[in-house]
Amino acid sequence: MNEQARPPPAITLKSSEFRRDREQGWRELELLLELARRHGVTGLAPEELERLPLLYRAALSSLSVARAIALDRHLLLYLEDLALRGYLVVYGPRGRLLDGFREFFRRGFPAAVQSARWHILVALLTLLAGAAAGFLLTIGDEAWFSALVPAGMAGERGPSSTREDLLNGEIAAPWPGFIDSFLVMANFLFQHNTAVGILCFSLGALAGVPTLLLTLYQGLSFGAFVALHYDRGLAWEFIGWASIHGITEFGAVILCSAGGLLVAEKVLFPGRFSRLDSLARCGGTAARMAVGAMLMFFVAAVLEGGFRQFVQSTPLRLCIGLGVGAVWVLYLSRPASEPEP
Amino acid sequence: MISVNDRTARFLDPLARRRREIVTPEGVVLHVEIAEYGERVGAFLLDLLFLLGADIVLFLLLLLVARHVANVRVLLELVLFAAFLVRNLYFIHFELAWQGVTPGKRIVGLRVIDRRGGPLLPTAVIARNLMRELEVFMPLQAVLSAGALGPGIWERLALTLWLVLLALLPFFNRDRLRGGDLLAGTMVIAMPKRRLLDDLVEGAVDQSFSDPQLSAYGAFELQILEELLRRPESAETAVLRRDVCQRICRKIGWTAPVPPHETTAFLQRFYAAQRAFLEREQLYGRRSAGKEEPPDGG
Repeated sequence: MNEQARPPPAITLKSSEFRRDREQGWRELELLLELARRHGVTGLAPEELERLPLLYRAALSSLSVARAIALDRHLLLYLEDLALRGYLVVYGPRGRLLDGFREFFRRGFPAAVQSARWHILVALLTLLAGAAAGFLLTIGDEAWFSALVPAGMAGERGPSSTREDLLNGEIAAPWPGFIDSFLVMANFLFQHNTAVGILCFSLGALAGVPTLLLTLYQGLSFGAFVALHYDRGLAWEFIGWASIHGITEFGAVILCSAGGLLVAEKVLFPGRFSRLDSLARCGGTAARMAVGAMLMFFVAAVLEGGFRQFVQSTPLRLCIGLGVGAVWVLYLSRPASEPEP
Repeated sequence: MISVNDRTARFLDPLARRRREIVTPEGVVLHVEIAEYGERVGAFLLDLLFLLGADIVLFLLLLLVARHVANVRVLLELVLFAAFLVRNLYFIHFELAWQGVTPGKRIVGLRVIDRRGGPLLPTAVIARNLMRELEVFMPLQAVLSAGALGPGIWERLALTLWLVLLALLPFFNRDRLRGGDLLAGTMVIAMPKRRLLDDLVEGAVDQSFSDPQLSAYGAFELQILEELLRRPESAETAVLRRDVCQRICRKIGWTAPVPPHETTAFLQRFYAAQRAFLEREQLYGRRSAGKEEPPDGG
């Protein structure tokens, strides 16, 4: 500014000059950032919102210049902080809770499931193999039933149950009323299957063997149940009874174990990344699958509590179960081709 | 090779936080400070406290609404379910609306960011918070649930092991990631809060120092001197400045006496001249970092 006024040999510092030129922009950015911190980004006026990214990029460029020419440590630290704070606001999450969920359901969940289709296939085959083995074992010798199904899950059902016990106590049991239905639903947090899902997923970190074993075991106990009812001529009714929520529930179990297998694959075969990096790269997908599976467990619990005993005809039960299953398949295979963020 | 800035930082504050580089989408490297374990735990406990308050209010409300429901179990399930909804919506809502900050994190001064420097996506926020359900709340509830409905002894042991392992996870990676961070690709940093102070150099530079005198020191010493000049005035600072001033005079062969009351002014003049000299040299590609070993007592 008044360089001309000074005697010619006077030296001004390049870094001081640089700071004088740009300081106003930094102060303005600082002010906007403080406003955004207090009232949220949405609290900024439109023209302020327009200024923010410009000022942020200017601060970044200031930082780059300062790194090259300035030896003022305080200035460098300040600019680095300013740029970081600007970065955090400019690249912070923009959405609201609802946007987040919408994004998750629209794209995140189906895309994750589609990218893990081979893992899902393996999990599905394991479950089916378990079910077939459980069925064949129990049909030959019903003593297997007690071995395959834990007592807590079997309830009063077992080799000693008669056809009438099963029919009245289970398949055609009367609707218990709203309160008790709700209990089953609210109870979903503590449900056996949710815990199994979590275990399936989390044990993936141990190379996936426990995940597969657990999935197999789920199939085994279901197969044993089918066999028990088959021996009493109730196979069709039982499948209808179980399908209403079981299709959703087993779908969720499959997704959980597929997520676990995905984690296992990345831990076992990290490729050209370190194991931790490799895990982080697949983590988003696996986490989305687990989260989606939790929601499926919730839906299954609602179906189980609300509809299973409410609807008493086997064909109708099967229709609901298969219909819900078809909705899941359609939903999860919907095009989510936009690039994975 | 470590930069001069890093060396100065290490010299001035050996207990500084662990730092990590992120690259912004514009391609500029920024340094973030990773949050300490204590801060993370503190923020989490604060959030839990707020949640507990919310849950109590909720419980009282439910009690009012559902007075006629005689079934205690129904009420308990209702409360548990509501608590589940509230805690998940709480974390996700605040981390989205406040840009990676919950009330607890705000008080402690922490923030969630994307680990690779990209934008923090809603999906990542949801994933890292729902993982907390798997990491802490569900196993805890299962372990603490009593009676025949609860899990068996082996399941309890396994769940406890799971809890402990996940709680220890941040100690086993260099970015202090918990399970949710690991999967969602996020990390938690300490919020920067530095203010812009005045430039130490105002106006023209004193030219009474010669180039050989100025080349006695490098950037490292310059930054230490800057730190000394920025220190708040005190008797201790005055003694230090006096000492440094004498050392400088001896080193550069400054023969004119510097009276005690002019120590700070002299140091400021020397700082300005030294910075001007080094910055000019740097423009021509001649960087001088300064001593390899930090001076003792400087």
